[in-house]
Amino acid sequence: MHIHEYQAKNLLRKYGISVPSFFVASRAEEVIQGNKELALQEGVIKIQIHAGGRGKAGGVKFGKNPEEILRLSQELLGRKFVTNQTGPQGALVEKVLISAPVNIQKEYYLSIIIDRKEAAIFLLASPEGGMDIEEIARDKPDRLLKLPVSFSGKMHSYHLIELANFMGWEKEVRTQGMDLVKKLCQAFVENDASLIEINPLVLTKEGRITALDAKFTVDDNALFRQPALRQWYDPSQQTVQEVMAREFHLSYIGLEGSIGCLVNGAGLAMATMDTINFYGGKAANFLDIGGSATQEEISHGFKILLNDPQVRAIFVNIFGGIMDCGLLAQGMLGAIRQISLQVPLIVRMEGTNVEIGRKTLRESGIKITLAETMAEGAKAAVQAVAKGE
Amino acid sequence: MGILVGKETRVITQGITGKAGSFHTEQSIAYGSQFVGGVTPGKGGQTHLNLPVFDTVKEAKKATQCQATMIFVPAPFAAEAILEAEDAGMETIVCITEGIPTRDMLEVIPVMKRSKSRLIGPNCPGIITPGECKIGIMPGYIHKKGKVGIISRSGTLTYEAVWQTTQEGLGQTTCVGIGGDPLIGTSFIDLLELFEKDPETEAILLIGEIGGTQEEEAAAWIQAHGKKPVVAFIAGQTAPVGKRMGHAGAIIAGGKGAAQDKIEALKKAGVVMAETPAVMGKTLKEVLAS
Repeated sequence: MHIHEYQAKNLLRKYGISVPSFFVASRAEEVIQGNKELALQEGVIKIQIHAGGRGKAGGVKFGKNPEEILRLSQELLGRKFVTNQTGPQGALVEKVLISAPVNIQKEYYLSIIIDRKEAAIFLLASPEGGMDIEEIARDKPDRLLKLPVSFSGKMHSYHLIELANFMGWEKEVRTQGMDLVKKLCQAFVENDASLIEINPLVLTKEGRITALDAKFTVDDNALFRQPALRQWYDPSQQTVQEVMAREFHLSYIGLEGSIGCLVNGAGLAMATMDTINFYGGKAANFLDIGGSATQEEISHGFKILLNDPQVRAIFVNIFGGIMDCGLLAQGMLGAIRQISLQVPLIVRMEGTNVEIGRKTLRESGIKITLAETMAEGAKAAVQAVAKGE
Repeated sequence: MGILVGKETRVITQGITGKAGSFHTEQSIAYGSQFVGGVTPGKGGQTHLNLPVFDTVKEAKKATQCQATMIFVPAPFAAEAILEAEDAGMETIVCITEGIPTRDMLEVIPVMKRSKSRLIGPNCPGIITPGECKIGIMPGYIHKKGKVGIISRSGTLTYEAVWQTTQEGLGQTTCVGIGGDPLIGTSFIDLLELFEKDPETEAILLIGEIGGTQEEEAAAWIQAHGKKPVVAFIAGQTAPVGKRMGHAGAIIAGGKGAAQDKIEALKKAGVVMAETPAVMGKTLKEVLAS
């Protein structure tokens, strides 16, 4: 789960990590109020969305006086921004973060990640701030340092020394930098983070090491034991379909195509998208109702697709296995009876009682194309969309 | 034959009295697996599914000489259950549980790396040697004793592959779901090595997906050591960047994990790619006939 920059900064501040003073506003009155409280003469305004690439998309502005801060904030609030990370549908700006400008002496890069291959936590650091990590890794690999962090959030003292030397931190800055990294590692494990990125970390002209930006991602699997973070789930950053799916505990991702997919199991769901693509169509979504979905789950998943105007044909691909295809058929029909079916429906089922399931669908009086295999079903769905055009 | 589990394997279930644990233990017994007991803390001394229940794995091992365990313990406690099984010296630990926090697995994996025990999963359908032993949630009837070894990061997509190889008349030696999480106990390479040594396995089917670099590592291994033919399919060729596709581990991030990179690496290593998931069985048949 992503959290917003302002939430990440609040969290870092709790650990004693320095961040520029800021306030968050969702309405004009809050901007005026905040300007007054911080006595801002000028300020940086940043849109709060769950995606990077905000600067390049015009989501970061500089206001030269309180009036301009207000005007720019009003321009940004309520708008949708498309960045290189949002996808074409963009992300809605419900809040802006406004902070006093910082006098930058030097910029650095810091992040903490989980390395899958090593099965360990690592700190990535570079004295090249403001650049993307991918760029640094590609263009200046010798300017990137990777150091291990224990699963309990500890970095060895000799690694901290290595880091300080690599970053060129001296005297007071050295103490501050090492202290910040220690706290960052602690914040990472205590909050079940899967990524923290501070880009840039800056040394101010006043000699303070400060986190100018903060990206923070939390492990979804650990949300059960992170009640405070769980509250920061922000449905405004997701589509209607994604919010619905989450309510029903289904895994859903919106895509650009027109064929709605309902599949049990993540691997099969991805493979279904790929197969549709192979036959010249495009999936409207990824929807995994779970390897052992119940009648209810299939009904919920189906409703999401029926309510999506982008969907022009539906392809259900179920490898039931232990699941009873008879029950699955009833789950689908239940949803169709509540919300009418306006688009062609293609169903491929395999598993226990598959004949009963097919019979139930065939005798339902609803026009359903039954496919024997995944390929046949995908082809039929692509053709159905083509016919409708 | 096959690998890792067979007729002689004595199995227990951790979390045997839970709903899923109980159901799938029953199904596995019905398939013919040799289950000898179960573990649920606090329920030691009871009997469930006609099997003795123990408080700890160590007690279960002492009383039943079990060698393998199937874990259905809920996610918040599953990492502890794996560590307990390792501590008790289980040879094969199959963790079905989905949703274990990554931080917990960061503690488990280094222990497993130094251990004689093998962890399969977590977040996996399990392992099956058709006709001999099923430890997991896969539907038994789709399998058939045969000559293909299957390794997969997925669940239902594996069933699809199994079904195809059964229908093509090839059958399987052993099928292993290694799990959809970012941190898992057994890699493609571990199993490629075992399948290479298994005399009954004539070809290997590798089913990967986006996320991480495991398939690329497998490709490098195959190029250096592989003798048996390998067919592969990578799911997620049309998945968007930066989105987690159902599995916690299925995400293209930081310029890594894209399907295309994996496909290219595997092709370079001489692996035959199934163009769509619908032709995994057919591709294997062609490769074996050539």
